[in-house]
Amino acid sequence: MVSRNGLICWKTLQSGCIRSTNPVNVTISRRLCVSSQICQNNWVQAVSNAEKIVGLPTSFLSLRSEAIDEISNIAVYLKKLIGTGHPLLDTAKNLMYSQDKTNQTRGLLVLLVSKAAKIDQTQDILPKQRTLAEITDLVHAAHLIHTGVINLNTPNESLEMGNKMAVLCGDFLLARSCVLLANLQNLKVVELIAQAISDFSTAEFIDIVANETDSALDRWRYQSKLRYGTLLAHACQSSLILGDNVDLVEFGKYFGLEIALAWQANNEIQSYKNAKEKADHVLFKLFPPGTPFKEVISNFQAVRDTHVDAALQMLGELPKNDASLALCNIARALKY
Amino acid sequence: MVINVKLTNLLAYSSLAVRRVSHLGKHHGDLPYQLLLSKPNPLFHHKKQIQTVVPSTSTKNVTVPVENIPTADSLVRLDLEGLYEDIREGLSETQPELKLIAQYYFNGEGKAIRPVITMCMARAINFHLDQNTPSVLQKQKKIAQIAEMIHTASLVHDDVIDVADSRRSRPSVNIVWGQRKSIIAGDFILAMASKMLARLQNKQVIILLSQVLADLVQGEFMQLGARENKDERFAHYSEKTFKKTASLIAYSCQAVSVLSGADSTLQAVAFQYGRQIGMAFQLVDDLLDFIATSAQLGKPVAADLRLGLATAPVLFAAQKFTELNPLILRRFQEPGDAETAFRLVLRSDGLQRTKDLARQYCNDAVTQIAQLTPSPYQQALVTLAHQLLHRMK
Repeated sequence: MVSRNGLICWKTLQSGCIRSTNPVNVTISRRLCVSSQICQNNWVQAVSNAEKIVGLPTSFLSLRSEAIDEISNIAVYLKKLIGTGHPLLDTAKNLMYSQDKTNQTRGLLVLLVSKAAKIDQTQDILPKQRTLAEITDLVHAAHLIHTGVINLNTPNESLEMGNKMAVLCGDFLLARSCVLLANLQNLKVVELIAQAISDFSTAEFIDIVANETDSALDRWRYQSKLRYGTLLAHACQSSLILGDNVDLVEFGKYFGLEIALAWQANNEIQSYKNAKEKADHVLFKLFPPGTPFKEVISNFQAVRDTHVDAALQMLGELPKNDASLALCNIARALKY
Repeated sequence: MVINVKLTNLLAYSSLAVRRVSHLGKHHGDLPYQLLLSKPNPLFHHKKQIQTVVPSTSTKNVTVPVENIPTADSLVRLDLEGLYEDIREGLSETQPELKLIAQYYFNGEGKAIRPVITMCMARAINFHLDQNTPSVLQKQKKIAQIAEMIHTASLVHDDVIDVADSRRSRPSVNIVWGQRKSIIAGDFILAMASKMLARLQNKQVIILLSQVLADLVQGEFMQLGARENKDERFAHYSEKTFKKTASLIAYSCQAVSVLSGADSTLQAVAFQYGRQIGMAFQLVDDLLDFIATSAQLGKPVAADLRLGLATAPVLFAAQKFTELNPLILRRFQEPGDAETAFRLVLRSDGLQRTKDLARQYCNDAVTQIAQLTPSPYQQALVTLAHQLLHRMK
């Protein structure tokens, strides 16, 4: 077993007990959380350590290295978009260069699950599983890019060009995902990932408004499940199918869902803290109007924490190894 | 003894005939069924049947009186009955607004040329291989559906990319719902098509049709860029045409042949027919953009020029009128460019050369399909090629 800096402290404190959140370390990390910057570093640290275990995800690198014509076309057009204010520029920038290490973390989670499930830890992650991790990142990127298409009611040449590029880039990533998916030669996996694409498309049409049966929070959960949950859940499931870990497939599904919801909840909290117009933010709508800012945050943190704890509980089903520990670290790092 | 043999032969013939037509479906009394029973169709030849004299089908330009032979459209009408209803049904289990957008272009107003070709090829190949399993035909019908769904999803995205305002005499989907929801609905259609594809339980078919998706995007990118070097332009245009138009038809044809149990040689025949017909189809479209009136087209004339696209007639004309080259490079953006190009094309031999090229592709398609055992379906695919050429007049 290879030790890493971040993991040594976990191991020395409590070996083999992944099930319970170690209270000592949680308090330490809380005290260290004087600013969200340091807490975010926990996340970055957890992700960096994890990358050392399973290898850097190569999701977008392979696109660049294959010197595909379309990529050079895209680059030329993206340059023309500078100054137009089209969301595509920001999205592309975040996908290519991510400060907070989030652009390939979905793929990383899939790789970690693949590795953690292996009974024989000397066994490496299968090429098919790596491809699936790449597919996960490509599909997610396509979703981000396509949801960045803006509605134009009046002609505007540069924004129209931005839309054009957004559509084509997203289509390019989706098509590539489909080709890679087809070559995995597994019908169940194709169906699972297709369902994920269908779900995130449907998510755009879900409104987060309370109705007779559901609260606004329930609607948020439902929308987030469709938008982010299905992809991670089905990707984890698929990777376990490809790795022949049939008994862990259900774990993959529920873990993927919980970690996605926890992650998204955390993103909402962070963006709410940074939002200029609090009233426009989705979190504002989830609680009764007039709820003070701090209360909204702490309420939603509680929501986030239930999902983190659920994910950690699921992780208890995994054999104890570097990869499963890394998954625990990443899950816990969300509680900042 | 002799009488017995004759009787046996007669019985064998009639039972074969019955078996042969039963696969047309349970709707007896329909035209194709009657056609096969009433007249001894000289093209109705099968190895197991008593040898009848069959005219050779090896010539390049097969001329058959068009009136006597049922068209592809009519032959597969029953197979494709409910195609659009089925597609809409498949898209209905979702949020109400998404359902509306996704179903919008599946109102049955389209020409459905892709499902027709796919199904006709399926039938022709099944006949050639004596493939009669009902489940095979069911799966082939699904391929026709999937092909139409992929095509329509690409239309939805195209309308956003081209900032279209109408399609098939209705406001285009982006006008009604905005660009964002339209794009996402397009993704939804694609996802549902992929799910259907997975359920066909054939890995090769999934690979073939996912290649179409990659080709469609690549074709769209190719359309964005103009080749500087005029000698490369035609090759670029040809490749773009394959990716954008012919690829879907070619791979759909190959896919149905795979489902039928075709070996790689036969798959290649199916693929090549689809490819050549697809190329011809686009060339005829490009031609009609210049010569048809807007009433016939359902859209304004010279739309391609207005979009900055240099199609075959323009590329041919540019070989004669080199002043077209700078216009092509700047994609007809300057005022008067489109009009100038239009005039020059009509003055040149560009249209005639486009016609000739389309004819060449059609003849090639016919040569390919002639390798199949003659059947009404095989013949209908030949007729389809002729009808395509007929549209150019």
